[in-house]
Formats: sequence, C-alpha cells, structure tokens
Amino acid sequence: GHVVGRRPGMEAGGELRVGFVGAGRMAQGVAQGVVRAGKVKAANVLASAPSDRNLGAFQDLGCRTTHCNSEVLQRCSLVFLATKPHLLPGVLQEISPAVTRDHVIVSVVAGVTLQTLQQLLPVGTKVLRVMPNLPCVVQEGAVVFARGSCAGEQEAALLKSLLSACGLCEETPESYIDIHTGLSGSGVAYVYLFAEALAEGAVKMGMPSALANKIAAQTLLGAAKMILETGEHPATLRSNVCTPGGTTIHALHELEKGALRATVMNAVEAATTRARELGKR
Amino acid sequence: PPPVDWLGSIALSLCHEWRMSGRHSPFAGAATWAAGPAGRAMSVGFIGAGQLAFALARGFTAAGILAAHKITASSPDTDLPTVSGLRKIGVNFTISNKETVKNSDVLFLAVKPPIIPFILDEIGSDIENRHIVVSCAAGVTISSIEKKLSAFCPTPKVIRCMTNTPVIVREGATVYATGTHAEVEDGKLLEQLMASVGFCTEVEEDLIDAVTGLSGSGPAYAFTALDALADGGVKMGLPRRLAVRLGAQALLGAAKMLLDSEQHPGQLKDNVCSPGGATIYALHFLESGGFRSLLINAVEASCIRTRELQHLADQEKVSPAAIKKTLLDKVKLESPSVSMASASKVSLFSSSWAPNSKKN
Repeated sequence: GHVVGRRPGMEAGGELRVGFVGAGRMAQGVAQGVVRAGKVKAANVLASAPSDRNLGAFQDLGCRTTHCNSEVLQRCSLVFLATKPHLLPGVLQEISPAVTRDHVIVSVVAGVTLQTLQQLLPVGTKVLRVMPNLPCVVQEGAVVFARGSCAGEQEAALLKSLLSACGLCEETPESYIDIHTGLSGSGVAYVYLFAEALAEGAVKMGMPSALANKIAAQTLLGAAKMILETGEHPATLRSNVCTPGGTTIHALHELEKGALRATVMNAVEAATTRARELGKR
Repeated sequence: PPPVDWLGSIALSLCHEWRMSGRHSPFAGAATWAAGPAGRAMSVGFIGAGQLAFALARGFTAAGILAAHKITASSPDTDLPTVSGLRKIGVNFTISNKETVKNSDVLFLAVKPPIIPFILDEIGSDIENRHIVVSCAAGVTISSIEKKLSAFCPTPKVIRCMTNTPVIVREGATVYATGTHAEVEDGKLLEQLMASVGFCTEVEEDLIDAVTGLSGSGPAYAFTALDALADGGVKMGLPRRLAVRLGAQALLGAAKMLLDSEQHPGQLKDNVCSPGGATIYALHFLESGGFRSLLINAVEASCIRTRELQHLADQEKVSPAAIKKTLLDKVKLESPSVSMASASKVSLFSSSWAPNSKKN
C-alpha cells in the first residue's frame, strides 16, 4: 500500500516515477521530452499498451514497458493517461481500483473533460488535464494544462516542471484547452500547409523543392524565434521588415488581398468549435 | 538670392516661438504675423479660388498666422461657392490673376493640374525673383513648372506641395519639396505657414505621389468609412446625427491615440480586443472582407492615377473635358495666342506658343 502524506509522485528514495497508460505518439513525445531533459530517469518511466507496436519507442529510450495498465498505477505515482478517447472509459474502469489519493493522474486525452475524468475515477483523485501538441516530440511543444478540483498548487508545479521539458508549458482555465487545440494543436498543421505553399512558390520561381522546403522551414523557425526572443509585437516585427516600396510590402499586399488573416481566424475558430463539440459527446 | 533680413529672421523666430507654445491660440489680431522675405508681414496669394484656396485661407486666418487682408485670391469664375466664402473671411478677391501675383510674396497655384500650364503662361512675365511659387497641383512636377517659368524668369523659386482638405480645421497633412532655386529659408517659410494648419514636413519630390495617395486622398477614404460606420449605427438603432458624431469621434480619438503613442497600431488594436469579445468578432468581419487590402489598393490606385495624370500632362495633351468650358473661354480671352489644335485634344505647345512670345 501507499503511505498517506508522502510528497506527490515521489517514491521511496525520492525519485519520481512516471507512468504512461497508452504509448502512442503523444505519450512518446512527452516521454522523450522529460527523459532527454533529465527530468526523470528513463528507468523510472513505465509505459503500458495492449500490443508491442508502440512500446518499442519507449524501450529505445531506455524506459520500462508492460501490457498491464494497473501495473503502471502500482509502480508510478504520476501517471499520464494517453489512450484514444473512445478507449478511455474502459481503461479508467480497469485502473480505478489501483488509484489512490497520492496518485497524480494527468490526462492527455483529447476532448475528455475534467468533469468526466473525475466522475470515472475515485472521489478525491488528483486529476489534471493536459493539451500538448506534436512538437513535444522535438521538445518545442506548446502545452497547456488545467487542474481538477482536487489537484493543488504542488501538483500543478510538478507537472509544469516536467512538461517544460517539452517546450512551452502554461497552466490555464479548462475553457482555454479547446482554444489551444484550435490554435496550437491543429495549428501545427496550418504551419505545415503554409510551409508547403511557401516552398511551392519558390519552386515556381525556379528553386529545387528540397532546398525550398528546408529554407521555408528555417524561415518559419527563425521568425518564430524572433517573436519569442524579442518580445516585440508581431506587427512591429512585420513593419520592421517592410522597406518602403520593397519586395516584402508587395508580397504582403498579395496576402492581404487573399484575406489570409480572416482565413486563419476561420481555421482556428473551426478547430476550436469542433473540439468543443467533440468534448460534449 | 536675397539676403536673409535680420528683421525678418527675428520675426520668423518670434513666430516660431509663439507657434511652439500652442498651436491653437486664437490670435486673430496679433502683431506676430509670419514675416515675408523683406521682413514685413508676408502676403499670400492664391491663383484659383476653389476648395483648396478656401481651405488654406480659412486655416491660415484661423491660426492667426496671416491676416485676411494680406491674402488675395483670384479666379475667372465668380460663381464658385468658395468665392463668397473667401470674401466672408475678408480675403481680397479679384478676377485678375496678375493682380494676385503682384500683391503676393508667396503665391499658391491652387488650380486643377491641367490648368497649371495655362496659368504659368499667363502670369509668367509677372513672376519676380522675390516670389515663392508654391504648386499644390497633384502630379505636376517641379521641373515642368520651372521649365515653363524659365521662359520669363531666370531663377524662379518653385516649391511643390501636397496638402489635404483638413487644413481647413488646422489638422492638415502637408509635404513639400523645394525646387532648384528655392532656398532653405523659402522652404522653412512655407513650412511655417503650413505647420500653422497641421502637420508639415519636407520630403524628396519622388515621394509626393505616394503622399497624394495616402493623405491627399485619405480624407475621402475616412469620409466613406464614417458614412458606413454611421449606417451601421443606424442599422442597430442609433439616430443618424448621433451615429455620425460618435463615429467621427471614434476615428478622431483613435488617430490621436496613435499619434501620441510609441506603439504599433497592431498593438493598440490588440489592447482594444478583449478575448472573445465584441470587437474581435467585428474585426474578423473586416478581415474577411479584405479590409486591409482594400485600403492598400486605394492608396496604390490614387498614387498610380496621380502619376498617370502627370504623364498625360508631360505629353502635353489635355482633353477639353478636363477643363471647364467657361474657364477655357476666359483663359482664351486673356491669352489670345492659345490656339485649339484640334477638336478633340488641346496641345499646350502649338506653334503659336513659342517660348519667347509675349502675353498681354
């Protein structure tokens, strides 16, 4: 059994053991992030999945694996739930007997609300809900999380410390999570689309596509880095690039003619709305 | 070039200090008039008595930088509504352009661009070295004016200026470029005049067409926007007058915030848009309609058209439709050597207009 009063997530000896129920891409991304950043020893990470298909990635990282979800609850105090949404209720039912008040349960499952999680887990369980995005895999993710009613500041601080290994991590009200999906979860795909289009433009003008793709990606990376590091408003940075009568302002005019801004707003809105719909099911 | 008179320079600096202490001082009867080149109070003339002349005259007198009786305006067309407006504020009105030239130190050419060549031919012989000729005509280059005037005067002082109608309420936007023979002081003198009715700065001449597109035509874009905003207000239940008043105040206030702020307008916009609030919903509509690109298109179109008109003028072909018939007849009366080359086009340089021909 577990001793009541121990610091959350800490095993005997003070080392954090982190578990993953579900071992898909998102779980892998988070695991890679926390292990590579040295937040958790690989040997202290345990992942479970029904088949071996996804467990290979965890093994390559040096983590332990199992086919038994309950074992993860028994061995780890901080457990990520990373199953597909339709599988979650069944999994929660399965593991609930092994969940104690010392556990910190962190759901990475899209569209499943804190309310639902708390209903399906024992009363008083510390639950947090996380929405990461794909670049967690390369430790440049954008992650937001919200606390359930029994999760306190210590749990929030622990989670934030862990997930900062994956990139940007912020605590938010739960209502922001669907917006984060629209902005950053799906947003990654918008950026891929934009990168593709940039490269295509270059190809049209005579550049080979492999080079164009690489430069397009680096352009996005560099521009994003400037926003984050200078702290300037993107409008200011944009104006700074536009010399009077120059190439950039001519190009921006084309983007404005195409109502790019409104289209992007529409995209974020559509994804957010859909996330909300899915969350209600 | 005439030496800078020490009286004139003292008067200039007095005026400058007075102006710096508060632009909107109601100094109708003050003795600190803007000083002309000779040190005495400056006279200003307007060839043309239309909207521009009226706006500037009104602005200068309201700013107290010029007394109305030191302003002369001329036009062959006495029926213009602006003519009675000018008379009302005490400006000397005449139908003789030559009289205006004689009574002015600073001479504004405030006629439509196609008329400029006619005017220059008419008054060229009356232009002296002391005159500062300021053309406000969109698209008309300094070199085209200097070329015309050099037939009469070896070193004409020419300044090209682009202003806009809000000079009438002393919130104009003006730029100017100085010609070959205009001195630094001449530019500063004009700047002093125009700064009394709004913002004024010197630019390179090649930027003036862009300024035309932006702030020259700009008030028209604003009026259109305000009309539509008011419509929006009325649609949602506001009485028209109130809607117009509030719309105008909103734009005025926003413009003032931007001018007073170091921040980018994008940042100021963000400051107004609370998350999920009314404003961001509205902005989304604007973006969907390509609002920004429409404005960019407008500035571009106005600038390009200005250049086109200049190109047409350079080719010295102007269709009579561009010139009001009464005006053309009156110009013909005063300059009998103008000949109509053909029924469809007027060539401004027909054979009877040899550069050295004298006018009556």
